[in-house]
Order: sequence, then C-alpha cells, then structure tokens
Amino acid sequence: MSGFLVVLAKECRDNIRDRRTIISSFSLAILGPAAFAGLMALVLTTTVGESREPFELVVVGAGNAPNLVRYLGQQNVTLSERELAEPREAVENGIYDLVLVIGADYGERLLAGEVAPVELIYDSSALGKSRRNQLLARQMLAAYGQQLGLLRLQLRGVDPRITAPLYVEEVDVASPAARALSVLATLPYLLVLVIFMGGFYLAIDATAGEREHGSLEPLLSQPIARAQLVLGKLVAASLFSAASLGLFLLSLAISVPLVPLEQIGMSLSISALTCLQIFGVAVPLILFGAALLTVVASFAKSYKEAQTYLTVVILVPTVPLIITQLLNLEASTPLMLVPSLSQASLITALIKGEDLDWGHLALSYLSTSTLAAVLAWVAIRLYRRERILI
Amino acid sequence: MIRVEQLHKSFGAVQAVQDVSFGAADGRITALLGPNGAGKSTTLRILATVLRADRGQAWIDGHDVARDAVAVRRRIGVLPHAAGLYDRLTARENIAYYGELHGLKRAPLAARIDALVERLEMGEFAHRRVAGFSQGQRIKVALARALVHDPRTVLLDEPTNGLDVMATRALREIIRGLRAEGRCVLFSSHVMQEVASLCDDVVIIGHGRVLFDGHLEALRARTGETDLEEAFIRVIDAHPEAERRAGERP
Repeated sequence: MSGFLVVLAKECRDNIRDRRTIISSFSLAILGPAAFAGLMALVLTTTVGESREPFELVVVGAGNAPNLVRYLGQQNVTLSERELAEPREAVENGIYDLVLVIGADYGERLLAGEVAPVELIYDSSALGKSRRNQLLARQMLAAYGQQLGLLRLQLRGVDPRITAPLYVEEVDVASPAARALSVLATLPYLLVLVIFMGGFYLAIDATAGEREHGSLEPLLSQPIARAQLVLGKLVAASLFSAASLGLFLLSLAISVPLVPLEQIGMSLSISALTCLQIFGVAVPLILFGAALLTVVASFAKSYKEAQTYLTVVILVPTVPLIITQLLNLEASTPLMLVPSLSQASLITALIKGEDLDWGHLALSYLSTSTLAAVLAWVAIRLYRRERILI
Repeated sequence: MIRVEQLHKSFGAVQAVQDVSFGAADGRITALLGPNGAGKSTTLRILATVLRADRGQAWIDGHDVARDAVAVRRRIGVLPHAAGLYDRLTARENIAYYGELHGLKRAPLAARIDALVERLEMGEFAHRRVAGFSQGQRIKVALARALVHDPRTVLLDEPTNGLDVMATRALREIIRGLRAEGRCVLFSSHVMQEVASLCDDVVIIGHGRVLFDGHLEALRARTGETDLEEAFIRVIDAHPEAERRAGERP
C-alpha cells in the first residue's frame, strides 16, 4: 500500500470515530433539505391553501343594504351580521379582523344615484391573513360597485365599454418548474455550504489537530513523501465532502416530493439522474474546497484557531452566490472561471431542466480543478517547510 | 550510529544550538544531558529530519540527515517529547499506522506488533482506544510505534517525563534491552541520576554548546567528583563565558 493510501485510510477511520466530525459533516446535509422542504411546505400552505378558505367579514347595518349583503353572501366569505356600537374599537382590540359598516343613508343615496359610502375597518399593521383578507374584501366591494356603475350607464343609454378603454390580459410564460425554482433559489447556496461543511472538521483534525496533539512531529519523521502525506489528508477531506453532498442530494430527493408544489401548479422532481449530474458538476468544487480548507487550517496552531479561520473561509464562496442572486446574473463565460459560482449556475440550469452547456461545463471543470491543484501544491509546500512544526 | 559535526540552529534571534558536535555508537546508550532550554530537543529534531540545521552536518549510519532525509527516516525510530498518539485509534492501530508508512506488509506487520505488545507488556490495553491511557501506557505505545520497523537508531526525547517510579524502571529495562540488541540509543534528559543509572556515554549540552562528551567515568574523573549530580553542575558552571553570552541575548 502506498503512503498516500495509508494516510487516506487512517484519516477516514480516525474521523469516522469522531462524533464531532460526523455531526458537523453530515447534519446539515441530512437536515438541510428536510428543513428546506418543511419551510417551503409551510409557505405554500399558508399563502396558497388559505386563499381558498372563506374568511370572516363582520357586517354592521346589514339591513341597510340587503342587495350588497346578498352579493357578498355569494362570494367566498362567511358573513356575520352584528350590531356593534364601536366597530372601530372592536378591530383595534383585535376582536374582529375585518368589519364592514353600512350607514343608514346607504339605500337613500343609492336610489338618488349618488355616491354611497361604506366603511371597511381593518388593521394594516396586522401580519399575514388579515391583510390578504382585507385586499380580497376590497376587490369584492369594488366589483360590486363596478357592476352598479355599469347598470347605471346602461340605464342612461351609454355603452358601458366606454369606461374600460384598456383591457390587460396577463400571460405568464414561466414554466411551472421555473416558478418553483424561484422558491428553490437558495438551493445552490445550501449546496456549496454542504460541500464545505463536509470536509470542515476533517481538514482541521488532519492539520491543526495533529499539531495541537503533537502527533505531527513524529509523523513528519516517517519515510513518506510530503506530497503523498498532504494528498492523503486532502483526499480524505474530499471524501467526507463528497459523502456529505451525496447525503444532501438523497435527502433532497426524498423531501422535495413531499412539498405540495402542485397546489400552485408547479412541478419539480429531482430525479436520480439529476442528482448524479449535480454530483458530477460539483466534483471539482469538492476538491477545491478540501484543498482550500487544508491550506488555511495548516496555518492554525490549534483547533480553535483553525475553526475561527475556516468559519470565515466557508462564508467566502457563498458571498458571490448571494451577489449574483441579487444581480440575477446570467450564466456567462467569465462566471465559469469562478469556483462555486460556476457550479451554482450549472446546477441551477440542471434543476430548471435545461440542457447543459458543455462548453461552460468544461470551463468550470478546468478552472476549478486548476485552482484546486494550485492550492494542493501550496499545501504540499507548507508541509515541506519546518515552520509547520514551530 | 550517529555523527554530528558543528550543528548550528537559530529561531529568529534565539540561538538554540551553536557548534554542537558529538557521536553515538551502536550497542551503547548515549545521553544528551542538559538543563531545560539547552538545545537537546532541537538537536534531536534535526537528527529526526523534521528541522534543518542552519550550518553543520549530521549523519545517521552514514546518511546525511538533510540531503538524504528519506534514507535516514527509514533507519530511525523517534519518540518525541509529546507521545503524539491518535486518541481515537487503538494502541495496535497507532502502531500499525507507522508500520504501514514504513511499507510493512500485513502479515509481518501483525507479527511484529504481536512481538512488541508482548515485549512491552501491552497485552491488557493493546486493543483499547488510546483516549484515557495513562502516561506510562502512552509512552509504551509511542515506543512500540517507534520500534515497529526495527530501526537501528532510536531517538528518545525525555522519555521518562511524567512517569511514576514503576513505569520509569520498566522503561529503563526496555532501553537496556535495545542496547543489548545492538541498537544505537540516543536519549535526552535533564535528570542526572537517570543518566547515571542507564548510560554508557554522556554529552552535556548547555546554552546550545557541548560542554562535555565522553564516558561517565571520564566525567567523574575530570570533575573529581564521585557524585554525578555535582559533576554535572560543575561542568555547567565551568562555562561562565557561555552563561554570560546567554545573559546578553535578547
């Protein structure tokens, strides 16, 4: 067995036995998608599911406008007719969300062809439901008002179309999957984080950890080339990263179908093939991440120091992801030169169900692998210097 | 066999080793004796190929430690100051790791570890994970690990540090056993009694310089002392020049 394999096997065995490494490497990968799916399901059921439920509208003075009340009764509303002395206070105190007050002169004004005021009382600072209900109630009242207006015009012999010179027809061309993607926009970000977290503790343990425990010095007096030693540690970190990504994709494939996306007419399936493709695209990033973590952790003298450095390092590759999301950058050739960005953009395309741009993929592979190799070379150089011990 | 010629090593402004020369023969136990900070560990680390000397040369069995480091690494067994074991591996796994790095095949390696476990009386804890081992158990595992590839030269950095009386006595027996097998044993210590009870030759280092190099009897004869503790202190004190220069250093 070559020295490289000996080191690789030892690092894996050693770290598999470390509960801290296992928890830190794989908890995000397993729980991330579950939490993600749970959150998405929650968002969908509260925003979509609820719109079908009738909401409660309290009507004060219903007897003043029997036609209006009948019209509202045909809508998706639960009407409750009440006589309230202080309807404004009732809403302020949160007893009712929405109160419609119809004045005693309503019928009289309407008959005279005047503007008949009604009062809709709501609290716009209340979050969630009541704001949406208030919007719906306004729409219903406006629609009723418009109907009356059209009737009045017709009675006077005017073509009602005169009030509607413009008709807007909305056509949304986003595919159901693309719409689902806007919900899934955070996925590449999570994915990069999972890859880095996977190798995080092993990289620390294999470098700063060895130093702190005094095991690095005898190790360096063993007859193994520094390159093999460093590459053994680096590949061990890569394997943990890869395992973390594999678990993440598995967890994602299981949890995404549980999200009720069909409720909003979206479809999103992450097939086994897509998972494999995502994994394939991410391979250079895994190596890059392991090399980056190893180099940075090699500068630290203790676990704590390494942890501090690496926490910052983990954030670095996620920063460009957030920026591009804000700027909504398109996949482009320069983008393919940046590790993490290029993978995120390619993976986004894969999830959207678009065809892979092979030129972009090749460029992403080439640039990220080159950078990983440079970092590995730096790590080897670091271990050739005696300063690694001092 | 170890040969050291005019080694110099400094860390920044601190001169850890200056002009150190000595030899250590096979089949003998040679002590590197000196107070704390004298440069013993630095010298051992240069011999173990993990540090490079600024000037001077050192050879182990004729191989230059700087130019031919890999050949030297094959021929030495090193017990560093801190045992440096992997807590989550068992004693046997710790030993096997180094055996594999030395290219030992599975079956001969297992046989070799069996022999070491028996000889160092590690049977009780050989299959347990190292976390929670006593200092004596740790030293035994680290020593077995250093001996797994049957090295001709053994470098021990203050091996009895932190050991109780019984463990120290057991370790001395093991070190005598290494001598009986014809190995070259170089070990550092700051305890004169230990050196007196174990060593054939002694190299006294103070402030990075060699103050004495020869047989124990020669040390007694030179200082005219039968008490070695006194002899040691006399040698250190006899170099006020070295002391003075040490005091001037920042």
